[in-house]
Amino acid sequence: MAEVAQPESFLPLTPAVFHILLALADGEKHGYAIMQEVEGATEGRVQMGPGTLYGSIKRMLAAGLIEESDDRPDPTLDDERRRYYRQTGLGRKVLRMETERMAELMALARRKHVLVGFGSRSILT
Amino acid sequence: MPEGAIRVNPWAPGPVDLSVRVYTWLLSAYPGRFRAEYGHHMAQFFRDVCRRDYDRGGLTGMASLWARTSLDLIRTTVEEHIERGIDMSRESFVRWSGWALMAGAVLFAAGLIIGSFDSFDMDPIGGVDAVYEISQAVGLALGQVLFVIGLLGLRAGYAGRSGSLGAGLLLLAVVAGIVSLGGLLVMNSIEVAWQIWMGGFVAMTLTLAVFGIVAIRRKVFSRWNFAPILAGVGLPLLFGIGIAGVDSVSGQAPEWGSLLAVVMTSVGLILVGYRMQAEAGKTAAPAA
Repeated sequence: MAEVAQPESFLPLTPAVFHILLALADGEKHGYAIMQEVEGATEGRVQMGPGTLYGSIKRMLAAGLIEESDDRPDPTLDDERRRYYRQTGLGRKVLRMETERMAELMALARRKHVLVGFGSRSILT
Repeated sequence: MPEGAIRVNPWAPGPVDLSVRVYTWLLSAYPGRFRAEYGHHMAQFFRDVCRRDYDRGGLTGMASLWARTSLDLIRTTVEEHIERGIDMSRESFVRWSGWALMAGAVLFAAGLIIGSFDSFDMDPIGGVDAVYEISQAVGLALGQVLFVIGLLGLRAGYAGRSGSLGAGLLLLAVVAGIVSLGGLLVMNSIEVAWQIWMGGFVAMTLTLAVFGIVAIRRKVFSRWNFAPILAGVGLPLLFGIGIAGVDSVSGQAPEWGSLLAVVMTSVGLILVGYRMQAEAGKTAAPAA
């Protein structure tokens, strides 16, 4: 019944949605694991509170970017009431398109010599 | 246990235990539906972060966590309430405009059918003919106002799933409905008012009929996607018959044709209105 949304209609993604999709790129995770992954990947520069995380998850579920997963990587170690989330096909497409969009911007920044050295941690000067 | 509450680990340090209890209590600031869906998970998430930060930084770590969490709580509480408000407003509008479309269809049919009893013998105002005429005028005018409200709701609820063509057709139907209403309102003032009214009405219903094709192709409604076509083809068909001169004596469509057209239009609009009020809750899909 519902219209299948076009991936480009989601772009650009908010930082929270982008980081959540990225965190789920290598498998399903629960909320706290998503936050750990984001903090680890960004060396603590991006921190998500519970409201931001679950507000984004709610909207992403409604938009069909992620879905709940029944799988439990290790049921013995987990509270069974934890919810796990994983990317949908649409979520993967949107993440890929957003990454390509950012890569194009990076290429443009390089061409204009905004970027100081390839692989620099402080990306933009 | 209240909504969002979690069982606090009995071995959790005092500050962690207290923080989780306070945070669980603060979750009541979120809208009820959001809290019921995610409150428990948010409290569990907060407990995990709380334990980690306490282990890493003690009370200083906890203070830093509370500073971040307070800002997050304030910002997202406002966001969720605004979003809930917008969803509720749209949902209510779509539901009520569905009822408006149904009521408009009944008034429209009643107005035309009652008005057809009028002998149009140019009697002075008064007597039974006046009752027919007034009933017709009120039925058509009020019905048209309700049609415009109904079409606005149809567009608000379904434009997103109808594609650009469907959304454009719905906008056109709204504009045609307003033109038709304008014709009705100036019926006693300008000569071409009747043409404006009927022209607008036929354009409105024809546009609905074409929208019906889009509805069938895209499955816009969960069922009865033929309804806009049913609502839309009656009057244009009647005009076609009239123009073709089926009734060779008067050049007008036969009475049975008029009745059939009115019934088709009304039943079609009632079905569309019924779907709108029944599906109002499903038409709100927030963007990520």
